[in-house]
Order: sequence, then structure tokens, then C-alpha cells
Amino acid sequence: MSAKSPASLSGRVALVTGGVGGIGTAICERLSAEGATVYAADISGDPGSVPAQVLHAECDVSSEASVTNVMQRINTEQSRLDILVNAAGIEIEKTVEETSLEEWNRIFAINVTGTFLTCKHGLALMRQVGGGSIINFGSYDGFIADPGLAAYCATKGAVHALTRALACDHGPDNIRVNAICPGYIDTPMLQSFFGSSGDIDSLKNEVRRVHPIGRYGTPEDVANLVNWLAGDEARYASGQLWVLDGGLTAQAQQMRL
Amino acid sequence: MGGQLKNKTAVITGGSRGIGRSMVELFAREGAQVLTCSRSERKDPLPQGISSLTADVSRSDDVKKLASEAVSRLGKIDILVNNAGVQVEKTVVDSTDEDFEALMSVNTWGVFALCREFIPLMAGNGGGTIINIGSISADHADPSMALYNASKAFVHSLTRSIAVDHGHQGIRCNAICPGWIMTEMADAAFDLADDPDAARADALARHAAGRFGQPKDIAQAALWLASDGASFITGQTLTIDGGLIAASPLRPGFF
Repeated sequence: MSAKSPASLSGRVALVTGGVGGIGTAICERLSAEGATVYAADISGDPGSVPAQVLHAECDVSSEASVTNVMQRINTEQSRLDILVNAAGIEIEKTVEETSLEEWNRIFAINVTGTFLTCKHGLALMRQVGGGSIINFGSYDGFIADPGLAAYCATKGAVHALTRALACDHGPDNIRVNAICPGYIDTPMLQSFFGSSGDIDSLKNEVRRVHPIGRYGTPEDVANLVNWLAGDEARYASGQLWVLDGGLTAQAQQMRL
Repeated sequence: MGGQLKNKTAVITGGSRGIGRSMVELFAREGAQVLTCSRSERKDPLPQGISSLTADVSRSDDVKKLASEAVSRLGKIDILVNNAGVQVEKTVVDSTDEDFEALMSVNTWGVFALCREFIPLMAGNGGGTIINIGSISADHADPSMALYNASKAFVHSLTRSIAVDHGHQGIRCNAICPGWIMTEMADAAFDLADDPDAARADALARHAAGRFGQPKDIAQAALWLASDGASFITGQTLTIDGGLIAASPLRPGFF
């Protein structure tokens, strides 16, 4: 029983999709700080604020050719893949009636097909080094609904089911597959949501108040869990949906009594 | 007047008011012979033809009395509804040993003891169905209801065990998980609010169904679970909450 130090991912190679986004950047920073060689794949050609040692790869996860290009590059440069983090995702703030078929197909292409494609083409790279850890992004919205987010909720439910299926099929190859299901995380997306309302400070306070932990999450909170799931300390954890929400969904709706 | 429970017998605990009373009345209307019990006599009498007795499900003697009275008054027992329950509105730190005993003896021990008495009676007559009243609070914590929330999780889990262990004896066992049902208890909670009208409006907006639950919503679900139409349903927890827990606890649109 020789688990590596929990703080060590040295020698490991990680691919993080959505790698220059709010949560993706924090994940890349953390995995890199733990010693992994990290590729930040993103639709954006601008590496944003990811650290210089993180390798940037322009990638549209909804395109099979784009995904296989990234995998071929990693295979050529590293000959291995140990950690795959599927953090790329979009959100459409509409009900089913308001959502066009084009929008529906677009969000599924990125949130679900994107996860399918990186797994499909990353598994072989993991298998050739004796295993690996895949970390998908579900959401607490895969369990319960936020109003006006119908297609988003549906994509996250699909990721949850895909996570279990992958874990069952590829566990024998020592490939663990888990999903993180965040609640409210302080990202540019959340800030823009706050910015669109009138009294930002009182809204933020209300949001904090509803959380048992008294605040909303940070990208670093998510990166902490990614780091644990990626490493050997989590070697028996697979097929699970890890809700990370400060206790939000442990409660029933918090009525203003 | 339907006849969905014609020739059936039912024992329903806690039938003097609220959800229990609604079930007692509906089951009787649907043709069942009903025996109910409550801890004390109530001023508003039950409709004619409904058999009742005073019993406290937390007392061993009373549980045995309820079973023997059920056999002598009803003959075979087809349906048992474990509805009697109490709540203590406290956190873990504020709850005393006495609170624990008072709540658990009714909500957990009472359900266990009644099932233990009635399962052999049902099995001896070819089977029966048990409906326990759980709660949405078993899976989603209501604040300052720690022991109550935990006791309902016990009920959900016991429901599954009974279904698994006694299914081969013809016993079906399910739980209903009510959300906010407008009983005297819920009205009292709103009256405690700083602004009771605003509190009611806020709570109403959180229900996808656009209204609060009524005792008859639970009674109708229990009727269906008790009927032969639900004969392949066992070991399940059925949430009846007007969509409350399908939504996120955090609804910024309401701020």
C-alpha cells in the first residue's frame, strides 16, 4: 500500500478542458502546483491568466477532429495521460419553450458530447500507462432544477449518468471516473449574473445567507476537490457524484418566515 | 362514493385530525372498514361507522391493544397506515434526552412496533400493505428540526427493509413523503413570522403547483398505494410536495 503523498502529482499529465475559464484556471494552477504537467484546452485561443508553465491548447470539445488533435499532441509530447478534467461547459438561461433546437443541440454538443469525446479519445492514453482519473463536471442542477435553465439541467443529468457508465465500463482498466457537482461558485459567470440585478450587495448577502456555510464557493474550493479526486488518496473513489455546494442542497427551500 | 377499498380493512394511527383524519374519512368513503387511534379524545367526533380507540403508539401496552382490537373489530387486516407522529423544533444542541425519547418513541419505535405486530397478522391472511408517513425532511433538512428530520430518515429506511424482508409473505410497504401540508401546525408556523402575509406569499411562490398541499392530497396518494392498482409498488418513497424539492433551495428571483 504505497499511495503517493496526497500533495504530489509529479510525473502526471493532466488535460483540463475549459482550462482558461473561471474554474478551469484554478484547476490548472492547482494541478500544476502539485507537480503535474498540465494542458489547458479551451475554445479560446487566449491563454488568459493560466500560469506560464501550463501548456495551452486551443480546442473545441464539440469537434471530434479538434479533440483528437489535442490527444495526438499529448501522446506525441508526453506519451501518457493520467488526469482528464472536463470543465468546459456553457449555460443557456431559458425554459424549454424558449430554447431553440439549435441552442439545445449547441449546449448538448459542448456539455455532453464534449465530455463523451474527450473520454472516448483519452481512455486509450490512460490505459497505456495503467490507469487514470477522469473528473467530469456535473452540477447540483443535475439533481434539482433552477428556474429557466432547462437544457442546462438536462445536460448535467446526462453527465451524471455518463459518469457512472464510464466508471463501470473502465474500472477494470484502473480508470476512475467521478463527477463534481458544484452549487454557487464565484466565477465571472456568477458575477455577470449578480451585475444584471439592481442591488448587488444585498443580493450577494441573501445568497450567502441561504448557504449553511455562509458563503458561496470559490474556484479554489473546486480545485481542492479536483486535486483530491485526481490523486492516489482517492484511489477507491469512482462512479460518484460529488456535490460541492456549502450545504445548500442539504436543505429544503429556505422560505422567508 | 367510490368503492376502491370495498371489502378491505384499514388501521390508521393518528386519525383524529390533519392528514390522518383525511385518510380515515377517504378510506371509509371508499368502502374500507377503518379503525383509528389517537392519544386523546378530540372534541370533533369522527364520522359514523369509523371505529376508534385511545392509544399512544409509543407505549408497548397500547400497541398490543391496538393489534388485538384490530383483530377483534376488523377480523383480517389489509392496510396499516403509520401516520401518528410528533415534532420537536430544536437543533441537536438544544434537544434534551427527554425530547429524544418523546420524539423517537413515537416516530421511530412506534412505527417499528406496529409493523412488528401487524406483519404476522397480514401474512397469516395472505398479505397486506403498509403505508408509512415519511417526510421530504428526511432527505433535505428543515432548520431546527434535527430529531424530526432524522426520525423520518429512519422511517424511509425501515420501509425498504420491510419491503425486502416481507415481500415474499405478500406484504407491500411504501412511504409517503409530504411537503408543506396546510394543517393547524403549518398555520401556526406562519403566524409566528414577522410578516405572516409576506411569509405565506413567499412560501406559495416556491411551490411549482401554485398552492400549498392539503391533507386530502396525501390521503389520495395513500388510497392509491393501498389499492390493488399499486400491487407492484413496494419499498418506495413517494414525495407529494407540489414540486417544492424539485427546485433549488436558492431562488435569487425571489430576493
